[in-house]
Amino acid sequence: METKKSRLSWGGMALLLCGMCALTSLFLAPGPRALAATPAFVRIIHASPFVATADIFVDGSPFLTSFGFGAVTDYKAVPPGSHKVQIALEGKGIAASALTQVFSVQPGMVYTVVATGTSASTLALKAFIDSNLATSGNAKVRMYQLSPDGGWMSIQANSKYMTGASYLQDSGYFTLSAGSVTFTLDSAAAGKSLSMSMTLPANTVTSVFAVGMFHGNPKAELVSAQTTALPGLPQTGSDPYAVVSNSNGPFGAPWLLIALAALVVGGTLLTWRLFARDKG
Amino acid sequence: MGMFSLRGSRFWGFIALLLVLCCGLVGCDNPSGPVQVAHANMLPASTQQAPTALPTRDAPPGPRRLLIPAIGVNAAIEDVGIASSGDLGTPTRSPWTDTGWYMNGPRPGERGSAVIDGHLDRPGGLPAVFWRLREVRAGNEVDVINSEGKMLRFRVTDVEYYQPRDAPIQQIFGNTSGTYLNLITCAGDWIPIQHQTTLRLVVYTTLI
Repeated sequence: METKKSRLSWGGMALLLCGMCALTSLFLAPGPRALAATPAFVRIIHASPFVATADIFVDGSPFLTSFGFGAVTDYKAVPPGSHKVQIALEGKGIAASALTQVFSVQPGMVYTVVATGTSASTLALKAFIDSNLATSGNAKVRMYQLSPDGGWMSIQANSKYMTGASYLQDSGYFTLSAGSVTFTLDSAAAGKSLSMSMTLPANTVTSVFAVGMFHGNPKAELVSAQTTALPGLPQTGSDPYAVVSNSNGPFGAPWLLIALAALVVGGTLLTWRLFARDKG
Repeated sequence: MGMFSLRGSRFWGFIALLLVLCCGLVGCDNPSGPVQVAHANMLPASTQQAPTALPTRDAPPGPRRLLIPAIGVNAAIEDVGIASSGDLGTPTRSPWTDTGWYMNGPRPGERGSAVIDGHLDRPGGLPAVFWRLREVRAGNEVDVINSEGKMLRFRVTDVEYYQPRDAPIQQIFGNTSGTYLNLITCAGDWIPIQHQTTLRLVVYTTLI
């Protein structure tokens, strides 16, 4: 009876070990996780002819000071969720805010937020969702039509028509070869054009903003902002089932298979002989 | 010897042990499996040598070596750009043992998000330089030897897994709110038809 108990215990422990290995590998397997802590990224452009230089407050705290018409910020990390944004004339304080608006941002998303409006009643924030992913070796461009009396505006690159957009709309992204370019934006409504020359480096994203008034002040103009395009995440895994030549040395796949086969065959034979001896 | 003997508990004990050993070996082919393998650039932490790579007059301005003592990584750093696919490039000189610094972004130690990637495994499933990156935990240290030979020390703040298309690219490459170094490799299961793994692993670190 003792021998039988011992055998049962030994076999049971081995099986238990198998189970523990399986459970361990199960719990160590990675899985997608929530992006709760991932911030959103926001840049702001002042395109409201109604407000001169302004201070911007977010959730009651100063966010930007002395923010002039036509100015564009860099992207700033912002906690995801809802935020109270207030805009006041420079130096007047948060109590004198001309605009109070609750603004919601999603984790990992990238936004261009435009302060827009030509009067107290039309003062507002408008958000565009950006994509700064690279198009390898080229330059990405997007035009934002933020001129209140510009109507629908077309954009040409080196005299070649690209696309167009209405007020408070964007043109969508288009791709250009890296190099020098002259952008020309035509407003049919105003019967006027705006022009700007620049260099487009490879792997950049250029934003061209039409701001201001064709008939009034501040005068219509083009403002640009350029940011480095961002790559996608790399593929750094390899085919685990690929057949590899034995030039990889003693740990190459063929040697691994041979060792595995030898282990299985040898172990089975040994087990067989041990039991044969026990039986004999 | 009858079949009854072969079905005894001792026999099945042997078979179970063989299975355990086989699982251990086959696990080398599984990119998700927790396997610790040391090779030339993955020295055990206790045997880690002090970095000897010093810059020369012709040295590129990028960082030179990456050290992660917790997982025994001591690897050279190559400059990488953007691949034709639009994704971050990977090391080419020694693809399995080197790491790649994204040269269009900030250098480690500069304000912003510096990024270094490395392969998870080699064709056939053998480990590459970032095989054990999954074992890194918040609080671990990551060191970079820059082109002047100076060591910069970072601390791991977060470890995240993402679907490739759902990753917060701006956070990984474009967060300028501090001085960061983010490490990237593949994770999850291999998808033969897509020739890629299901996930990407990003280790976030901050300069200390």
